[in-house]
Amino acid sequence: MTRIKKTAWYGQPCVIVVLLLLLSGCGGEPETESPGLSGEITISEAWARPAALGRVTAVYLRGENGSTEADTLISVSSDVAVLSEMHESYEQEGGMAGMREVTSVPLPPAATIVMEPGGLHVMLMQLRQALNPGDEIVLTLHFARSGEMDIPVIVREP
Amino acid sequence: MVRQQVLFMKEMNDEKCATVQSVQQYRSSRMNWLLRNTVLALALLLVTGCGGEVRDDYNDSSFELVDQNGEAVHFPGDFHGDLLMMGFVYTNCPDICGFITANLKKVYQEAQSGSDVTYVLVTFDPERDTPEVLREYAEAFGMDASPFRFLTGEPEVIEEMMERVGVRTQISYTSEGDDGRVNYLLNHSDKILLINRSGQLVMEYGGSMTPVDILLEDLQKLMP
Repeated sequence: MTRIKKTAWYGQPCVIVVLLLLLSGCGGEPETESPGLSGEITISEAWARPAALGRVTAVYLRGENGSTEADTLISVSSDVAVLSEMHESYEQEGGMAGMREVTSVPLPPAATIVMEPGGLHVMLMQLRQALNPGDEIVLTLHFARSGEMDIPVIVREP
Repeated sequence: MVRQQVLFMKEMNDEKCATVQSVQQYRSSRMNWLLRNTVLALALLLVTGCGGEVRDDYNDSSFELVDQNGEAVHFPGDFHGDLLMMGFVYTNCPDICGFITANLKKVYQEAQSGSDVTYVLVTFDPERDTPEVLREYAEAFGMDASPFRFLTGEPEVIEEMMERVGVRTQISYTSEGDDGRVNYLLNHSDKILLINRSGQLVMEYGGSMTPVDILLEDLQKLMP
């Protein structure tokens, strides 16, 4: 009996601590999320090079998958361009540089993709408007799981 | 040469061990040794340092080009007397070529140099990159004024020039827009050249991958 009473005496604060942890932790995120994940895809640092009307520009950005489910960026679009594609620059032997279309960009759980000069980027071709430093345009990212996401892109010099 | 120096030093050590009368001779020999090695070091610096080595001489050619304002330009003749930093781009390439273009602008901004450096970008896609297109491209990069010049020309002239400066291109990709226009991409050499005031190649770089600091350092070695 004594042993049982002792256990109950230590058990009470433990239950309170667990309850406090449940109330204060994780900000109400679904239980399936790992600690530190936002639970969604977030895009930041999106910028585009200035370009003239009818010409071509590149968009660079950083994307983070804050959920525990994999997603895939399957296409991009923008009202400011006739053609919007994902491309990747690469170096070949003999100092040759090339660029190829990328049809999808996988975004595993908790992963980050970085589109930056000399690598992966969005190509906006046959621009319907000139892009001047300070302008802001909208780029739509199409994800296989998360659907469409409109993001603001600042036009600036590198 | 190293072997000779070792022998010479050995001789000096022998002298050092000689009589008091030979101290004067030793001092004289030591001075000669220092003088000789200083001259050798300076000669080595002149040969290897300061970007002085000439890798190619473009004066066996003359290419009739046109700049973004429609003015006729002859390379290399019209640039004699100027240091040239020359990149090769096409305006439908916003990534690598944008990188090369921006690199030249950064070198200019960092150099804060005098008036004898010209930053030139030559297109290897003259069919699409007309002077007007180059002017718009230059304006978009904020490079539509001296000391920047964007050059194009007749396709056969550009082809000859690219061959002369070792820039290769190859169509790699085509796509068609909703309006039926066909767009194509090129694989191309990624290159920036540093050319001295006499139209001679001094240094060649990976155009998009070379840190601006290195371009700047080599350029400044050629400045007065």
